[in-house]
Amino acid sequence: MNLAKALIVARREYRVNFRSPGFLFMAFAFPLIILGIMFFITQFIIERETSTDDFQKVAYVDNAGIIQSGVEAPEGYFALDVPEVEAVPYIEQQLRDGVADAIFVIDANYTLTGQVDVYSQKNVTVALKEDMDRFLSDNLVAQADDLQVPVERLVEPIDMVFRTLDTDERQSEAALIGRFLLPTIFVFVFFIATSTTSQFMMGGVVEEKENRLMEILASSVRPLELLVGKLLGLSGLAFTQIAFWTLTGAVIALTTEQGRDFFSGAEFQTGDVLLMIVLFVLDFVLTSAIMLGIGAAVTAEAESRQAAGFIGLIAVLPIAANALFFTNPNGPIPVILSFFPMTSPVAIIMRIGLTSVPTWQIAVSMVILIASTVGVLWLAAVVFRLGMLMYGKVLTPKLLWQALRENQSTPVIEVLPE
Amino acid sequence: MTTNSSNSSIADHAIFVQAITKRFGDFMAVDHVNFEVNRGEIFSLLGPNGAGKTTIIRMILDILRPDDGQIQVLGGALTDATKDRIGYLPEERGLYKNVKVLEMLIYLGQLKGMSTHDVRVRALDLLERFGLSDNTKSKISQLSKGMQQKVQTIATILHKPDLLIIDEPFSGLDPVNTQLIQDLLYEMKAEGVTIVMSTHQMHQVEEMADRLLMINKGQRVLYGPVKEVRQAYAQNAVIVEGEGNWTTVPGVKEVLAGRNGQEAKLMLAPGFTPDDVMQILASRKDYAVRRFELAVPSLNEIFIQVVGGNGSRAEARFNDVRAAD
Repeated sequence: MNLAKALIVARREYRVNFRSPGFLFMAFAFPLIILGIMFFITQFIIERETSTDDFQKVAYVDNAGIIQSGVEAPEGYFALDVPEVEAVPYIEQQLRDGVADAIFVIDANYTLTGQVDVYSQKNVTVALKEDMDRFLSDNLVAQADDLQVPVERLVEPIDMVFRTLDTDERQSEAALIGRFLLPTIFVFVFFIATSTTSQFMMGGVVEEKENRLMEILASSVRPLELLVGKLLGLSGLAFTQIAFWTLTGAVIALTTEQGRDFFSGAEFQTGDVLLMIVLFVLDFVLTSAIMLGIGAAVTAEAESRQAAGFIGLIAVLPIAANALFFTNPNGPIPVILSFFPMTSPVAIIMRIGLTSVPTWQIAVSMVILIASTVGVLWLAAVVFRLGMLMYGKVLTPKLLWQALRENQSTPVIEVLPE
Repeated sequence: MTTNSSNSSIADHAIFVQAITKRFGDFMAVDHVNFEVNRGEIFSLLGPNGAGKTTIIRMILDILRPDDGQIQVLGGALTDATKDRIGYLPEERGLYKNVKVLEMLIYLGQLKGMSTHDVRVRALDLLERFGLSDNTKSKISQLSKGMQQKVQTIATILHKPDLLIIDEPFSGLDPVNTQLIQDLLYEMKAEGVTIVMSTHQMHQVEEMADRLLMINKGQRVLYGPVKEVRQAYAQNAVIVEGEGNWTTVPGVKEVLAGRNGQEAKLMLAPGFTPDDVMQILASRKDYAVRRFELAVPSLNEIFIQVVGGNGSRAEARFNDVRAAD
């Protein structure tokens, strides 16, 4: 293979597609739009979470006997007597009757457990929880000596504990968000970058076929050089896009307090990040090779879009099946999706965010992914060579199989364009 | 031709093709075809649609691989370096629609091994010659079909190839641009470039080509110098134009109406030659002759005759004539 010619193709693919409105929009305008949307959503959430307007009447059921008459309750708070039998239906009835907008039930063992059950027909806001926190804290402080309240109860009146479902591993709130969000961001970035560049990848080949350029190119470069050149050029394009996003994200994250908190909470190991990058590169090459093969096999852009949609659908299967990942990240479906080459990178990374994935599974997944990527690259080169001159004809799997079986350099079709 | 005897002559040939065969499944696209293209000549590849011309060209360029046979190009097997010395304009040709003319030419020139600077200088020069210097920054989609065809031609000769392979170079061109391309090809020939031209326009072949190869159903049916091929198909007849009663000329067995209504085709009796008839006409006062020529068929007539009839028999006939010569 003549690498110099592959690089000429790569440079052209990069330059031409970099200037295209489609790329400029996806690379630069799209993230800004997403950031804008996120900003408005955050503002909306902050607005909502800092308000207690929806909770004018708040009742509390003091099964622990810790509320003191001398401690001033927030406005609208009142004590509620609940029968010992059928307590929950009674509470629900009170809410339905509008007696209270929210009812806090303080557990009998509250001083030890910190457990407080909240009942409401509305979304309980952070501000409401903080008001209740303060109220309980004031009461605890007022009788700390009598009750022998543990210090941590004073510091954190309501103990909210997040536990992963399979390992029961206790994690901090920030780490949990970090561990969950980083893979989600990875999946999102991967999906957008792959789908954008795949479109260029396939669109370029289809354009060259539709415009009858392939034969002119084939007289100067070998199909493999063309294939490798396109892969290199468009990979460069994808990585430019990702680099821009990462840089923008990092700048925003590191210049805001919340961003710094988020990254300090995200307890990702260097190994995890390296694994993500390797998986990303392999999956990108695999998807791109499939797209190039499809581009060479079909005859029109519309057909290529259908095929691309199908491939994209397979790649996001783990996201579609996210409920299975959250409930049991080491369950059969997440594990199977971790071994299937087109879904494995996303599946593995989603699982890393939720649990500790056995090393052997990561190793098997990598081996399958590398073998498939090499195999698909070879097949894509064959399809490329076979399909690139079949103007107006589709290289069907049957024709491809026949050609491969007979080890032909050209597909078995009745008459080639003459 | 044996391999040994061919070795010394391979270097003399721009293209040397020996017994190439190509099948697509059960379909025999090219069936044991032999031919050579001499350096510096204009060689025409003829044949009806689906005869195998494009398949042969693609095999010469290594886009397809022959099932059997040998191909040598510019003195050896086709390498990357050889590819850079070939200019190819396929029949099914196009350009990137949304790319500027000069940018497109630079890319194609680079793929032929030229430096960016050299290809830019050469492209601007050729664009000026083809009257497209105002369009260097135009997108291909903004050009007329004829202009696009000129850009395609420029892309083909940009790197000053030693071998030019062009498929239907004149299709879609008006007479002025046809003349422009024709002049360019003559100029390149004068510079020593070998030109292989596949076309259906027989008058262009008659006018321009030194030698030809006609393919039908994947087989070679005619091959040799254009003049000899036409001569081989000449009948024992003459075309005359003038006044007189042609039926009474001694040696004329039949008179057929000519093509333009003024000429007549005199079919000669066995034992009489055109020379005999010319002498008779010159000696008689009752005939006024304005034109007298051998009834050599046009390539178009030969094409129809060969393709419509039995190709193999036509090849045998032509070879017999050459052997007799």
